[in-house]
Amino acid sequence: MDDDLPTDFEVIVVGTGMVESIVAAACSRIGKNVLHLDSSDHYGGLWASYNFDGLQKFIKEVNADPKRQWPVYNLSEKWYIEKESSEPEQNEDKKEGDENKTDDSKAETQKKIWSQANFTAEYRKFNIDMTPKLLFSRGPLVELLISSNIARYAEFRCVTRVLTWLNDRLAPVPCSRADVFATEAVSIVEKRMLMKMLTSIVGYNEEEMNNEFKDWNDKTFKEYLTHKGLTPNLIHYVLYAIAGGTDKMPCLEGVKECKKFLMSLGRYGNTPFLWPMYGSGELPQCFCRLCAVFGGVYCLNRPIDKVEIKTLDEGKRVVAIQSKSKTLNCNNLVVGIDECPKEMLPTEPVETSDISKAVFITNGTIMPSEKEPLTLLRFPPLTEEGHAVTVLEVGPATGSCPKGLFVVYFITKMVKDAESDLQQYAARIFDFSGDQTAESDKPKCLYSLYYNVKDTSVPVQSVASEVHVCAGPDVGLDFDRAVEQAEQVFKKICPGEEFLPRAPDPEEIVFEDDVTHGPEFARHDDEEGDAQ
Amino acid sequence: MEDYKFLFKVVLVGNAGVGKTCLVRRFTQGLFPPGQGATIGVDFMIKTVEVDGEKVKLQIWDTAGQERFRSITQSYYRSAHALILVYDISCQPTFDCLPDWLREIEEYANNKVLRILVGNKTDREDREIPRHIGEDFAQRHGMYFLETSAKEAENVERLFMEIAVELMEQAKCKELPKYDGSLGPINGKTTSVGDSGCCLRS
Repeated sequence: MDDDLPTDFEVIVVGTGMVESIVAAACSRIGKNVLHLDSSDHYGGLWASYNFDGLQKFIKEVNADPKRQWPVYNLSEKWYIEKESSEPEQNEDKKEGDENKTDDSKAETQKKIWSQANFTAEYRKFNIDMTPKLLFSRGPLVELLISSNIARYAEFRCVTRVLTWLNDRLAPVPCSRADVFATEAVSIVEKRMLMKMLTSIVGYNEEEMNNEFKDWNDKTFKEYLTHKGLTPNLIHYVLYAIAGGTDKMPCLEGVKECKKFLMSLGRYGNTPFLWPMYGSGELPQCFCRLCAVFGGVYCLNRPIDKVEIKTLDEGKRVVAIQSKSKTLNCNNLVVGIDECPKEMLPTEPVETSDISKAVFITNGTIMPSEKEPLTLLRFPPLTEEGHAVTVLEVGPATGSCPKGLFVVYFITKMVKDAESDLQQYAARIFDFSGDQTAESDKPKCLYSLYYNVKDTSVPVQSVASEVHVCAGPDVGLDFDRAVEQAEQVFKKICPGEEFLPRAPDPEEIVFEDDVTHGPEFARHDDEEGDAQ
Repeated sequence: MEDYKFLFKVVLVGNAGVGKTCLVRRFTQGLFPPGQGATIGVDFMIKTVEVDGEKVKLQIWDTAGQERFRSITQSYYRSAHALILVYDISCQPTFDCLPDWLREIEEYANNKVLRILVGNKTDREDREIPRHIGEDFAQRHGMYFLETSAKEAENVERLFMEIAVELMEQAKCKELPKYDGSLGPINGKTTSVGDSGCCLRS
């Protein structure tokens, strides 16, 4: 079917991950002729969201072919609930409308007893992210989405709260000024101290190292906070929850992280973060849509086999790509690290630490609140050698799961493997008994998936200057590095061109074929004006 | 704010060349674009119509060519209120692909979305799909059905007006897929009535 695929392009992009998709959009936007391919049948690569069926297929695919160099490994999936429901009324083929109504009324009175069959029946309502990430409200991605007008393809929800693990329990972190003053967990003296410290952090400026931080270059953030006289609780909030750090975090890194957090407060909601509706996997697609709107050609299910650089008669070089017995030519190839043929990569491997991740599906939130919460929880390391753990809990209102459930993501740097790295954290906030009827102050975990991902976020230089390799997802909370890398790749391909100028609104577009030209305008005045 | 009471998102799908863009432009601009010039930079078109004295704004989204190699983004289907599936009555393969399209719709679109099957190009002399075959197919899959000609402006106005009427009725009985509660677009161009309930201006 796709054999009428055109073969000559200025830019060919392979892989629909975040970085590749932004580059594709940026090139297409300024008029480059772009072809965008992906070897799989869906968008996003390692940045994809899957519905429950898609997730199962993905797990099967990885497990079925361990010899292939998957960036994902150690997948371990577990159910904590029965295959079939013992309740007789669960006959919900396609009558989702009715079923929703009963769900609503039932939720008030009693909790639904979930079975694996319910997950299968409602598979479409899940959007499970392989790379869940938040956006800082004033971070580079939000600014880019707004300035490029790509924001119109996406919807967001505000993260409603930031939690941390303090004194063996979950504790809300006061993030805004109002929060700080409203909280009872912090005394008035502490409040003054905290506000003073936060103010000096906001004033921090990298270029002109001001007096406040000039002696802190080689010290830890914790030392700084202690020096400032902050109480242990305050240090905990600032270091672990706001900066997302550990005891070893260098001072200036902590200051930078805190500043980023503080600068994004007060734009949209009570916290500095946004979460994309239907999951992070929507975002690469938004950039792909823009690319297509400006003429980019899209073809999924199209793996590439081989890449060669050919020198033409006039000394001009082209990138020739073999794909399904067809040769595709371009001046620049942009390729995701996971799709890049080995011959284009440098031989010495890059040193990185991998990432441990987990997805839990639970029957309730980790900390009940009036409205459906959307939570960022930051754990300090619980062990000597461990790293901080980031937890994101998203509910049905985000389009991530059916009503009555929550999807909870865990992310940390790998020490041993995902399960050993994360299980002890999960055990603190979930009930793994599988008994959905027993009373418990923790939500029941119904399903868990642990996995490790190779950290491919370090930029890799390809062996040819026409081939641009895009990094994979990093362990960080936001998309900032992806945006930054995409802009760098774009600048290499299109030096001097504007990066994603604002796309016009539909009202502003004039179609060439509707313009009825009026009589020629008398130009004399103009010309005279120019001459003067 | 702008002067309209309802805003509905309508998306078109169907094989390349069945006339999706022509239907949109016939309706929104009253013209039939000559030639197959790719519509660069056009994302969606807007037309405000009046139903029972109330202004209804239709935001009509085209596939941006991603249907050509069956590579439409899932996010295209998100938050749609109505979905128009188009085939060309003079081209059997475009009709044969309908089950594939339905599968994709089932997978990604809200299951309460209003679905309309449209056989386009009734102006063509070389019809391959009899009207009743299309009608049957629509009926079997719980879709509305209409035959149109974007070229002759036949039934195009009617198609979109009926969608507007039906969506408004659904909106009034609250049967419409609900997409509220989200922050909506972050650039603050559109207000969304949700939890936050406020207009978010950057």
